[in-house]
Amino acid sequence: MQLQYKSQAVAKPYFIAAIGLFVGQILFGLILGLQYVIGDFLFPAIPFNIARMVHTNLLIVWLLFGFMGAAYYLVPEETETELHSPLLAHLMFWIFLVAGALTIVGYLMVPYATLADMTGNNILATMGREFLEQPLLTKLGIVVVALAFLYNIGMTILKGRKTALSLILLTGLVGLAVLFLFAFYNPANLVKDKYFWWWVVHLWVEGVWELIMAAILGFVLLKITGVDREVIEKWLYVIITMALVTGIIGTGHHYYWIGAPGYWQWWGGIFSAMEPLPFFAMTVFCFNMVNRRRREHPNKAATLWALGTGVMAFLGAGVWGFLHTLAPVNYYTHGSQITAAHGHLAFFGAYVMVVLTIISYAMPMLRGREANPERAQVLEMWAFWLMTVSMVFITLFLTGLFYWLRWIAGAVFSTGLVVYLYSFFAKDKPQTAEVGAAQPAAS
Amino acid sequence: MPVSPEASDEASSSGQGLAIAAESLYLINLLVLPGLGFLALLGLFFRYRRDAPSLARIHLQQTLSASLWAGVLLIVANLLIVVLGGYDSGWTWVVAILYFTTAHTTLVFFGIFGLARAMAGQPYRYPLVGNLLS
Repeated sequence: MQLQYKSQAVAKPYFIAAIGLFVGQILFGLILGLQYVIGDFLFPAIPFNIARMVHTNLLIVWLLFGFMGAAYYLVPEETETELHSPLLAHLMFWIFLVAGALTIVGYLMVPYATLADMTGNNILATMGREFLEQPLLTKLGIVVVALAFLYNIGMTILKGRKTALSLILLTGLVGLAVLFLFAFYNPANLVKDKYFWWWVVHLWVEGVWELIMAAILGFVLLKITGVDREVIEKWLYVIITMALVTGIIGTGHHYYWIGAPGYWQWWGGIFSAMEPLPFFAMTVFCFNMVNRRRREHPNKAATLWALGTGVMAFLGAGVWGFLHTLAPVNYYTHGSQITAAHGHLAFFGAYVMVVLTIISYAMPMLRGREANPERAQVLEMWAFWLMTVSMVFITLFLTGLFYWLRWIAGAVFSTGLVVYLYSFFAKDKPQTAEVGAAQPAAS
Repeated sequence: MPVSPEASDEASSSGQGLAIAAESLYLINLLVLPGLGFLALLGLFFRYRRDAPSLARIHLQQTLSASLWAGVLLIVANLLIVVLGGYDSGWTWVVAILYFTTAHTTLVFFGIFGLARAMAGQPYRYPLVGNLLS
């Protein structure tokens, strides 16, 4: 089976890199889990703060690789035209991968303060903030890659068919790039610093990333269910409207205790309480589309990932988010393990799973077949359940003695990841003819 | 996409609208207006329990049964808090968080699956908590 558009093939290295970095992220997650219970584990080689930085930065980078791969795969199909410049996409892939790898090596090999000195932080101080720890050079590299990527995707959409799916995706990607620019604004006033820091962090994950997620889910569901495009587009309009209406002002739930005006406790509380709505709609959307499907797509694993995304995003982002974003509750839970639990399940449910959904759907196509062999799909579905169930338990083990159980759940998650990796190489076992099996059955 | 009059009549005769209303009220009771959503569902159930088409009747029975179970589970969770030292005890958070993230969320997911089925004109049986009225 051939790809509809040859240039879709550029998505493949992006997906492979995403999975590779995902493995690295989980490895550091296991190290961190052990450091919770064996405080000096790997100290001083890998201190907790460095391991945490690598864990979270790898997550962001591999999800970005996943989003870019998804865009390079789905935009040619949606626009019904080849990608504007596959060469540029390949070039940016290598630049992003090398820059990302060097940054991680820098974190691990050089003291952070020295890294800051070496990379121009004295010219423009941008380092030292959670999730935005990258050196100035890496941040500039991200901007260059994002601009080239948007140019490539934008030009492709301009010359081809314009669909709601591709425009929602483009809006999300442009938002992602624009909001990242606040990573360069680092005021000395700590209140202002935190205030605008959330414009990157919150407006990414509870704003524009939801658009990217909705577009990717919509695309996969369109392909595997055969439901009318108009129906899917109407759902997407509702979902993204709710995501933006609730998510933008919902940023206020981060402003309760940082020195921002008191009215944010009302605005943040009310709009945060509504933030589960888009995830709720997304879950209904996924199940509704699968219930109304017009075809039985052979890729059952991709369908499972898509449904799982809806469910786990609602649980992780919606339920766990709602649990602690009302100001009177947040007064007690702020900065506690509840936040870490929410972060884990929300990132996994919403963004990890949606990237794995598009990989599950697109990777077989990129390897020349509509779906993987049955055995590979069964393994992939085992991986789905192992990772999903263990992540639920990771979030429930919140204190003291339970940290050991959390690490065990992490080990189960890692096992799921190994099964997932193995599924890419699994083939159906050749059928062996048994004696007598060829005999015609007696009627 | 305009809905044809035939399609609209078909949906009405199969009770799809009523089924969607029942699932929506079940979710409203769990998520937005606890108590009021249940009363509205109860009213809908007693108004249509005899003459509703089978699809609607199934959804009405299932949602009411699950709502009653939800009430029972909420009482059990509160009793557990009281037994473990009252609402000022540190265990309150443990029970509340566990109840909210496991029991309550599972009930919400059942409602979401039921709503998706109702919107597709299909019946849905709630696992474990749908048997009370059947």
